[in-house]
Amino acid sequence: MNSLAYQIIFYLFAAIIVGSAALVVISKNIIHSAFGLLFTFFGVAAIYVYLNADFIAVTQIVVYVGGILVLLLFGVMLTNKITQADLKTETLNPVPGLLITLSVLAMLLYTFYFRAKWVTVPVDQQLRGTVVEPIGIATMTTYVLPFEIVSIVLMVALLGAAYIARADRKVQTKEGK
Amino acid sequence: MIEAYLPIFAMIVIAIVLGVLLLTLGRLLGPKRSNSEKMSTYESGIEPVGTAKARISVKYYLVAMFFIIFDIEVIFMYPWAVNLREFGVSGLVSMITFALLLLVGYFYILKKGGLEWN
Amino acid sequence: MLNDLLLTLPITIATVWVLVLILCEAFVHNANLTRWLTAIGFAGIIASIFLIPSPEGYAYGTMLRTGTFTNFSNFIFAVSGLLVVSISDKYLEEEEINFGEYYIILFISTIGMMLMGSAANLSVIFIGLETMSVALYTLAGMLRKDVRSNEAAMKYFLLGSFATGFFLYGIALIYGATGELALPRIAASLQTNGVSTLFWIGLSLLMIGFLFKVSAVPFHQWTPDVYEGSPTTAAAFMSTGSKAAAFSSLIIVLSNISIALPNNAVLQTAFAYIAVATMAVGNITALTQDNLKRMLAYSSIAHAGYMLVGIAAGSNEGYSGVLYYALIYTLMNVGAFGVIAVLERHRTLTNASDYAGLFKQHPLLAGLMAVFMFSLAGLPPFGGFVGKYKVFAAAVEADLTWLAIVGVLASVVSVYYYLRVVIFMFMRDPEPAPQANANATGSFALVAIAVIVFLMGIFPTEVLKLADNAMKVALK
Repeated sequence: MNSLAYQIIFYLFAAIIVGSAALVVISKNIIHSAFGLLFTFFGVAAIYVYLNADFIAVTQIVVYVGGILVLLLFGVMLTNKITQADLKTETLNPVPGLLITLSVLAMLLYTFYFRAKWVTVPVDQQLRGTVVEPIGIATMTTYVLPFEIVSIVLMVALLGAAYIARADRKVQTKEGK
Repeated sequence: MIEAYLPIFAMIVIAIVLGVLLLTLGRLLGPKRSNSEKMSTYESGIEPVGTAKARISVKYYLVAMFFIIFDIEVIFMYPWAVNLREFGVSGLVSMITFALLLLVGYFYILKKGGLEWN
Repeated sequence: MLNDLLLTLPITIATVWVLVLILCEAFVHNANLTRWLTAIGFAGIIASIFLIPSPEGYAYGTMLRTGTFTNFSNFIFAVSGLLVVSISDKYLEEEEINFGEYYIILFISTIGMMLMGSAANLSVIFIGLETMSVALYTLAGMLRKDVRSNEAAMKYFLLGSFATGFFLYGIALIYGATGELALPRIAASLQTNGVSTLFWIGLSLLMIGFLFKVSAVPFHQWTPDVYEGSPTTAAAFMSTGSKAAAFSSLIIVLSNISIALPNNAVLQTAFAYIAVATMAVGNITALTQDNLKRMLAYSSIAHAGYMLVGIAAGSNEGYSGVLYYALIYTLMNVGAFGVIAVLERHRTLTNASDYAGLFKQHPLLAGLMAVFMFSLAGLPPFGGFVGKYKVFAAAVEADLTWLAIVGVLASVVSVYYYLRVVIFMFMRDPEPAPQANANATGSFALVAIAVIVFLMGIFPTEVLKLADNAMKVALK
């Protein structure tokens, strides 16, 4: 296939992302929003593939689609009557909100296209093939400390979730149980 | 590089086409003779009991939460496992430390009855 | 590797101790034991800072800074944790949340803070921030059956993760502009390649993340609701430890990067305006608050404004002033929240009018509260005065005299609402007296805090020297 076909496929995915993200925000049914998010996540994974970031794409699918979205749907379905809830908040402020969003967008786009001096990697140093191995090496050497701390973050999330969502339990007083 | 993803893309396209095609064909060709029995909720042949919108225990949510956390742990193991031999003992120690911290958290949940189901 | 573990001894101790705490809580299942072990852990961290202070340098490659700055900031976090633990137990029993998790999560949060206070790499700052924040979200929601606490946790979580998004985007853009994550190398890259617009945008997004965590205007709206809804002792921890962590991280980033910036005045002006807005909004809104927890929340916004004055000064003096201020603010604010926790009963008795005649009922408590209020107002001879003097003096030296004047005016306004509490306690007739709910450790901790706040006001030189020294070496 030639590069034109790749471009067409890219814009197809981009359209899916934008469209489904709009559905997430606009839809009044929270289930529809959740399923819209599914397509957004998938589309973003495809963009990662285009960026030659295969590991991130896999992570996106496994963690976001396989985990977080499932959790989100669990949350929606476990909560009574949330499907009928009116999602509109009282303070909407569409005009200032839109103004701020668009100006930030314009600023970012302007910078990215005209004023950015992105750091570029020389061609001979660019990664070829899968990026899983370089990521693994970086995680185990340079970034070994952040890597270990990630497990502390996960642990505190584990403890916190268990505390907030577990069944009731007797409180302990000074005298013991 | 990106050519490697063509089969996946083809699979996505086939899945969409097949799904849309079969549903459309079924709607166009199938006979439509509905009665109240057919329209009722299908629950493996048993009469449905209660409403589908009953509130479910928060424990399911907890399980999903734990799933995500260990999901992320596995994701971190993947790039490590690919290079397992290169890292040798030091890589093993790093990964064991990583897993140990989470394991202690998991053990704590078990002891506290976070996964008990009664 | 082993050497790195020793160089960052407080973090190593804390990480190992967390495992001990969790296993102990899992097997013994006794909240009081866990509380004592947590206190021992904090004491161990403090002891290790004094006995084996780390030498200047880096650990884990260039991931962590070691040295006086780190020692000083780690000391603040450990002190904050230790004090909060010692004022917590009676309150938690009263609110029926005396669970071991409270202490464990509080302890883990401190690990995140210590990472933020000793980071030399943006990735470590981010993960430290996440460790701290996830723990704090849970602490805010500790009162599981209380709607206000749930609301506090939810608001803090949603807005906090939004701010984290900005933070992460900022890191990504900075990486795109410089190709580096390690702060020293970012500075080096800026010096060779110049500062692009992209970098400025990345830096501003990063700053938004920080400003949210220190609750600076206009990113402050979450503060009153979260502090009011959270358990009082958890609010004491959030308002002191996490603020100190965000400020020390901010100082690390700015002191590393500002040498490479050609136009420092932009950053200075921006921080000066934010400081003015923060001081104004915090102090003026606090005037109308009757609920003391809300009042202290707005006052914490105002204090973030005073500390931002030191950041705006952008000099060694300013930064060391912020460090000193963070320490003294930790002491006096934990003290003030501690007194509230002693008197509070399930969200009642937190209004200023409930403190009417407190002096006649509980003279000691009233006296302690008065010390904390005077110190928060910045009246001599208490520690808060020295802290304010230090940051305002730094602003004057940095040719920001107008900013110092605004700060002094804001402090004058603040005297009104702090003294209002004192007037209620000492000059009004007692209503049916609130029952004090303190035990020996809690009262001892409060008295100790008050004494230290007093001493730091009269003999500030030693601590100031430490803070100055921390900055001098760090900026080399």
